[in-house]
Amino acid sequence: MKNRPLFLFGLFLAVLTSWAGFVLGSHGQLGSLTPFFDEADGQSHPARLPGLAARGQAVYADLGCAACHTQQVRRPGFGSDQARGWGERQSVARDYIFHAQPQLGASRLGPDLMNLAGRKPQAPSAEELHRLLYTGSAAHPAFPFLYETREIAGEASRQAVRLTGAAAPKAGSEVVATERAQTLVAYLLNVNSGFEYPEARPLPAQSPASPEAKK
Amino acid sequence: MSTPPTQASAADASPFDGGARWPLTLLAGSALVWLVVGSLLALLTGIQLHTPSFLADCSALTHGRAQAWRETAFLYGWAGNAGVGLGLWILGRLGGHPLRALNWAVVGTVFWNLGLLFGLIGIATGSMTGFAGLQLPRAVQPVLVAAFCAMALPGVLAWAGRKREGTYAAQWYAAAALFLLPWFWTATQAVLLWSPLRGVVQTVAASWHAQSVVALWLMPLALAAAYYVIPKQTGKLLPGYDSAPLAFWTLIVVGSWTFGRHLIGGPVPAWIPTMAVVAQCLLLFHFLVIWLNFRGAFAGGSVTLQYMRFGLVAYLLTGLAETITSFRGIAVHTQFTLFGPALEALLLQGALSMFLFGGLVHQLPRVTGRHWALPSFVSGHASLVMLGVVVSVLSLGWAGLAQDALLNHSQTPFAEILVQLKMPLLLHSAGQFALLAGNVLLLVAFLRSALSCCQAEGASVLRPASSAS
Repeated sequence: MKNRPLFLFGLFLAVLTSWAGFVLGSHGQLGSLTPFFDEADGQSHPARLPGLAARGQAVYADLGCAACHTQQVRRPGFGSDQARGWGERQSVARDYIFHAQPQLGASRLGPDLMNLAGRKPQAPSAEELHRLLYTGSAAHPAFPFLYETREIAGEASRQAVRLTGAAAPKAGSEVVATERAQTLVAYLLNVNSGFEYPEARPLPAQSPASPEAKK
Repeated sequence: MSTPPTQASAADASPFDGGARWPLTLLAGSALVWLVVGSLLALLTGIQLHTPSFLADCSALTHGRAQAWRETAFLYGWAGNAGVGLGLWILGRLGGHPLRALNWAVVGTVFWNLGLLFGLIGIATGSMTGFAGLQLPRAVQPVLVAAFCAMALPGVLAWAGRKREGTYAAQWYAAAALFLLPWFWTATQAVLLWSPLRGVVQTVAASWHAQSVVALWLMPLALAAAYYVIPKQTGKLLPGYDSAPLAFWTLIVVGSWTFGRHLIGGPVPAWIPTMAVVAQCLLLFHFLVIWLNFRGAFAGGSVTLQYMRFGLVAYLLTGLAETITSFRGIAVHTQFTLFGPALEALLLQGALSMFLFGGLVHQLPRVTGRHWALPSFVSGHASLVMLGVVVSVLSLGWAGLAQDALLNHSQTPFAEILVQLKMPLLLHSAGQFALLAGNVLLLVAFLRSALSCCQAEGASVLRPASSAS
């Protein structure tokens, strides 16, 4: 290591190779993915997130939801992703091309949220999500700061979260979702990976004797 | 290649350290403050694991934000400050000149810590970026890179202007860490914050960065400390030192390739996890050489060597466990469970922190010219953090294995999984509490030492500090 320029050059080359290989390499491979146009239904997939939902992704990111929730379904046979109804197929890169900031996550203290709107057997409604976010549950913390409790002035808001029991506001008040809560729920209900892209189809099971071997 | 480290007596206060006293003490002090902040947050997030409602209704402390605080305070606050302080000191000493441009380091340290403080406020108020390992708000990230360049300047000057022809392993690791971070952090910011890549390529870039922060920046600084301190403490040559350059280049070349082990089965190109397996296997050579070089640490009895021993064992275990779990057949069981955080704790709290503790406990008396004011607090810290790491890693590992059965191989509802995991998660909180208590002890011992040094300022304080450490 006597040679100073060589040492620095070596460091630079090592990191450049790694960075270029992985980051630019995957950019070259996936950076120009386009939506898939399906002639059967005359639409392209995935669709852009509606404006409200697109803003919700920023709320999801800044609250750090990804600390407990993933947004990636793995292929059949990999864990219980399919059995839990999180999605029929694995998530592929094309699912995320319109996500401003994909939130793949690395921990499943809570369920996967990649395909909440297409959840089997039944997807949660916006009402249920608001209730969960406001009151929490045994496994989910409550985020009351996303809601506003206010006096009912005139007619009760149609947007008010319907609450019963201890969580219900006192008479004459109502709990209304703030804009952040509305965008977050809109986002959760719009992240959907229902369409089956060619690259998402699981590989057919390998038979012991492959066609080549038969020939 | 170079001459192997010469043996040195433990009492080797160097006249070089006089001017560096305050800048290096400032770095160590900021590191320890962030360490205590990080431990407090680790305890908080640990409690939130078994009691999700704990303080989570406060918008600044949702589990996601508290995790981001914890990670940032630990990596950039504690390990960053402590590692840079040790790196500068080692480069200065082995370079053979007193450190120059220390004013830059002081200004850099102040801006670095202010940047982190504003960053944490930003995370609490909703400017978190949402990339794991890089949650700092986008506005403070360029400030931190600039501050880091200023902090690293004395080290770079010491490396470039060194007196001796040969160099030591401690110097390569420290110099590499100081050079590399600004390069790759700027590159990451460019592709994530200023001109974001599309879709999952962002995840690839963010994971690459998170891995590089540990493998190319913090771990090299910690290894530099170990390479410097172990021979000083044992007074013996490092065995197998001829292989050290190969171990160094293995880490630098493939250390950042291993991030793909977290992306197995995910929507990224399949060659990325495959390359991670290859790189993990190559890195086994690095771990082997580190074992050969550091095994002399098992011979001595000082507190510093206890930290180094623990760090070495934790480092090797992490290397083995990460290699094994990077294979798909094993990852099916461990992915997305608490097994990942268990390995992360083993690497960061077990290996990285311990090497840095050993370095700090060795460094501080030599920089201030005084013994540790409260040596019993330091040994108490050593016992508590070792206990804390063992308990929290084992309990998280236990929770991870239990989670595998409940999460991956059945359809147990999440509330039920939480009930079943209660026991190991409570234990994990106990471990984090031990870590917090230990780290508070170390901070108190540090403050006492710094104060007594302050009071004696004016008198000649530079007397040889013998092995309090």
